[in-house]
Amino acid sequence: MKRETDYGYKIKSVYSPEDIPDFDYQKDLGDPGSFPYTRGYHAEGYRTRMWTQRMTAGLGSSTDANKVLKKYRDMGQRGGMCVISDRVFSDCIDPDHPQARREAGVLGWPGCSLLEFEELMEGIPLTGQSITLLGSSAPTVLRLAYVVALAQKRGIDPSEVHGSVMESPFENYFGQTDVQPFDLNLKLWLDASEYVVRNKIRMRSSVISQHFQESGGNNAQAIAVVLSMYKELCGKLVNERGLDFDDAALVPYELVSIGNRFFEEIAKVRAMRRMWARMAKEHFKAKKEKSCQMLIAVHTSGRTMTYQQPLNNIARCAIQTLAGAIVGCTALDNATMDNAYAEPSALAARMSLNTQHIVAVETGVTDVVDPLAGSYFVEALTNQVEEEAYKILKEIDDLGGMIAAVEKGYIQTMLREEAAKKFHEVDRKERLVVGVNHLVIPPEEDFEIPIQEVHEGDSEAIAKRMEEWKKTRDMPQVTERLRELHADAGRGERFNLMPAIIEAVKAYATAGEVIGVIRMARGLSYDPFKVIDCPYDFELEAA
Amino acid sequence: MTKGNGLKVIVSMIGLDGHTTGGEVVAMLLRDAGFEVVYLGVNQTPQSIVDAAIQEDVDAIGISSHAANYSLIEELMDLVRANDLDDVLVVCGGNIPKQQIQKLTARGVAKVFTPGAASDDIVEYLVNNARRSPAIAMSA
Repeated sequence: MKRETDYGYKIKSVYSPEDIPDFDYQKDLGDPGSFPYTRGYHAEGYRTRMWTQRMTAGLGSSTDANKVLKKYRDMGQRGGMCVISDRVFSDCIDPDHPQARREAGVLGWPGCSLLEFEELMEGIPLTGQSITLLGSSAPTVLRLAYVVALAQKRGIDPSEVHGSVMESPFENYFGQTDVQPFDLNLKLWLDASEYVVRNKIRMRSSVISQHFQESGGNNAQAIAVVLSMYKELCGKLVNERGLDFDDAALVPYELVSIGNRFFEEIAKVRAMRRMWARMAKEHFKAKKEKSCQMLIAVHTSGRTMTYQQPLNNIARCAIQTLAGAIVGCTALDNATMDNAYAEPSALAARMSLNTQHIVAVETGVTDVVDPLAGSYFVEALTNQVEEEAYKILKEIDDLGGMIAAVEKGYIQTMLREEAAKKFHEVDRKERLVVGVNHLVIPPEEDFEIPIQEVHEGDSEAIAKRMEEWKKTRDMPQVTERLRELHADAGRGERFNLMPAIIEAVKAYATAGEVIGVIRMARGLSYDPFKVIDCPYDFELEAA
Repeated sequence: MTKGNGLKVIVSMIGLDGHTTGGEVVAMLLRDAGFEVVYLGVNQTPQSIVDAAIQEDVDAIGISSHAANYSLIEELMDLVRANDLDDVLVVCGGNIPKQQIQKLTARGVAKVFTPGAASDDIVEYLVNNARRSPAIAMSA
């Protein structure tokens, strides 16, 4: 059995002062709320602001998801909502697309139009809680447009809404494959980010290591990858879009995956905070302290939720939630025991939310900020993972940065090899997983848990509804807004498409239509799957 | 290791499912075990998988499923039947719930590998049951 971190550092049996020989509190840690922020960003920690407790929702139709959101609010989740898209919306095609009809509403929210967002948010406040919508990169512009459009409809100033609806273009490489080319996702991301900064909308973008790690990356790689993405994207917002770094720095947030190896996971986040603070100051010459504070939300690891003996996952989730709480985070969404089976059942969701509540009020960990600081082991681990991460960061820098590293296949190879390594470790019992390769019981002897099901009929109903509803729209208006968007999309990379997208979305243009006409303006097929044609007849305006 | 003996296997995702990690890991381990792997990747329809199976004259089809779109796998089995490919072994892998496993095997999927399946078991099963497997030839 391996006694080493996932990036290969061999763990000793005892740690003592010699393991952190040059330890300098002010330089290495600082107080909570002080540079380099190893200990966190708030002097009083959770006493001033509890982490946002949230569960993800999204399964079936928008009205179904709306019911779940209301149920979660009843269960005590009021600080934030988190909805994941289905594959159809993630791919920016509509539910009535031939290849979408069987998968609409499966594993996520079918958010293909403003109508769907209105139904999702019926009776749910847009303000007073953080609004998080997830699901691949290209729909970023649509999710943002939905929020702005609904805010305007409800008579709310969009700058009063906060949360995260944007996703970085790198998601394509980390198992969140949408079918759009990277350069399109990058352009749309820059547009959305520039838009929120210039319009003072407190919406953030996920620029995250979570999917990278859930796909198999190790802790040191995860830190290097997320910092490289920050470096690249903040750099572009400054250099290509003319924003101040201190404004650009407020766009990204990190969602870190917390797995089972308790102390290593805590060390990972502490190292991440310290490294970003230094990058912000030294590389970007940050003028504001806030720019040095990487906003970090925690996601307990779905990957570790075993298919075998799912009730064991309650214990795993509790350990991970405890680690996430101890290390300090702004929000926490934990995976559910049935993660290997389906979207959370009501029971599984309640279990996970309750786990957060129990950690928050019964364990005492929220009374103290960064309680493990000063532990010889934890400080040594923090230093180790940081050192390893810097090596990888340098390799990425030497290749020309994150985009270059991806173009050269470096990141993809790294991830593929690490995923294979992790598989073989379990396969060879170098790492033990209870119920999977250790203390295995026959499935017939296990306890049954309720599993959420989506029936094929549900997808078809969503598809049919969209098909019918499309015809009831003010078609001259939709056509005109899409024509304008198409024209704007031909005006070059720097021309921000958000205003035109918002107008199109307000006229109830759909995801397939909005991204479709943008694609056409860039010389791509309307439909990424090349099955349907653009139903509109545009003439390209002279640029 | 040459257990695979050049037997040809498709490894593919199906539908809009973008989860590739499992499929990639299995493709690699099958290649290491001596199989000839035809890796189709993402955005495959049941039709495109069957077309590839015919074109490449494969001995087995492996579907990696992580997205609950089982009706597409059922449609694949209908197309396998309609195209006289009944002797091509079809297996699935992924986090597929028990009730769904039963439905899939009833439709002709030979075996469903759940998460944590040992690499030896996957290799062994394919070696013994793929279309032109020496094991099948010997028992005929």
